[in-house]
Amino acid sequence: MIAFQNVSKQYSAHATALRDVSLDIAKGELVYLAGPSGAGKSTLLKMIAAIERPTAGSVLVNGQDIGKLRREGVPFLRRNLGLIFQQQKLLNDRHILANTMMPLLVTGASKSEAEQRARAALDKVGLLDRAKALPLELSGGEQQRVSIARAIVNRPQIILADEPTANLDRASADKVLDALRAFHRAGVTCLISTHDEQVLDGAARVIHLNQGELVKEAA
Amino acid sequence: MNRWLRQHRFAFGAALSNLRKAPGSFLFNVVVVAIALALPFTGLTLLDNVRPVSEQLSVDPEISLFLTAATPREQAQALAPQLRGILNSTRAKIVFVPREQALASLKEKSGLTDVLGALGENPLPDGYVMKLDGFKNAADAGRIDALADQLRALPGVDTVQVDSAWVKRLAALLNVLHLVLLLLAVTLGMVVIAVVFNTIRLQVLTQRDEIAVSKLIGATDVFIHRPFYYTGALLGLAAGAVALGAVALALRPLNVAIADFARLYASEFQLAPLPPLGVAALLAISAGLGLVGAVLSVQRHLARLN
Repeated sequence: MIAFQNVSKQYSAHATALRDVSLDIAKGELVYLAGPSGAGKSTLLKMIAAIERPTAGSVLVNGQDIGKLRREGVPFLRRNLGLIFQQQKLLNDRHILANTMMPLLVTGASKSEAEQRARAALDKVGLLDRAKALPLELSGGEQQRVSIARAIVNRPQIILADEPTANLDRASADKVLDALRAFHRAGVTCLISTHDEQVLDGAARVIHLNQGELVKEAA
Repeated sequence: MNRWLRQHRFAFGAALSNLRKAPGSFLFNVVVVAIALALPFTGLTLLDNVRPVSEQLSVDPEISLFLTAATPREQAQALAPQLRGILNSTRAKIVFVPREQALASLKEKSGLTDVLGALGENPLPDGYVMKLDGFKNAADAGRIDALADQLRALPGVDTVQVDSAWVKRLAALLNVLHLVLLLLAVTLGMVVIAVVFNTIRLQVLTQRDEIAVSKLIGATDVFIHRPFYYTGALLGLAAGAVALGAVALALRPLNVAIADFARLYASEFQLAPLPPLGVAALLAISAGLGLVGAVLSVQRHLARLN
């Protein structure tokens, strides 16, 4: 489903984010990307979403070569992805139901359909009763669960979560991870980056990155 | 088709929602753009009212051709077929006026019989009077100059007088006014585009986060751009409506003044607002200018955000 073939990413002569990384991720896998800050975890996830392009090698997502993907094709790639960020990137001027509806509205779904599916997504992350709350009225963990609801509302094939538990207390982090694992069990391919060792407990597959290199892969 | 319409409805709704968030700013921009539009709209309304008046003016110009005193009568009369040839296209009525008839007419009209009798001999030359037809309006009168030049070139011709000079002056004045109005409209059209450009720039900056999130969740460029296009067009449309309303209101006091003036010439001339088709065209142009400003701004500023 996702393949990195000798991928390097260089931002400048002195800033290399990834060095010759090769890996394959099968459909339905739950993979953790581990490593310290600056290891290249975020860059790797950004490449899958075509936010960054490789400077060498190729990144294939569902057979599509990200390096050769035309600008017009990027939105359609992203509609099959659910993106979750450390900073939730919620829009603070609209309630969380509206935030969750956004990925459907951009595809041209009707408002009633978008609302129905957004409510279902919020229900899955346990926040349906807060549907009309503004993001700033929620805790950090709740905001992150809203961003998960927004990521899954489009029924994506792949979820990319970049440090989703950073800045969260343990209880909130566990709720966020539980939600992500639930989607994995439902058949969604999940990539979760983290520098929190506790998150990796019991993980089926962990890819360790350091200074842009794949240093270890544990299964 | 449904999806396409839904996306446009969504974009329109998003544009209205953005305007509602900052109504004061929107109204201020509408007023600024309306002021810029009001001037050419006023000019256009005035010209639209003056044009039919100028078209109704009787031009039917008359050309008087005077021969040299030394031209023999036979040669003078022999010019008639040549004159007909030159004025063929104008369906002109050509009348030969012998010098004797001219003198008799002068004596009758001027009351200077004694003075003219004292001259001893007739000082007037033979001549022709040509009444032209086929000149529909003042602008057409410019063609007469070319005919007059041809007549002047005939043998034995001393002077050619065209009595439609004032009509030509009016035509020239209207042409100048048209040109001034066009330049004014182009200049102020650019002002409108600049104002909308800046308004949309500020909106793009204000909604930077929303644009970034939309891109990440799969929004196409068209989806992101469309609400800004609607905002620009709405701004232009609203400003156009305000400008037209202001012009219509301004016509009332103007008409009071014009009525007094026109009465001196036994006329009931009044300035009328533009017809519905003209109003619709100006509103469309206003919305179009807003749209152009928005397109230019979005292309420039969203490209930077990318």
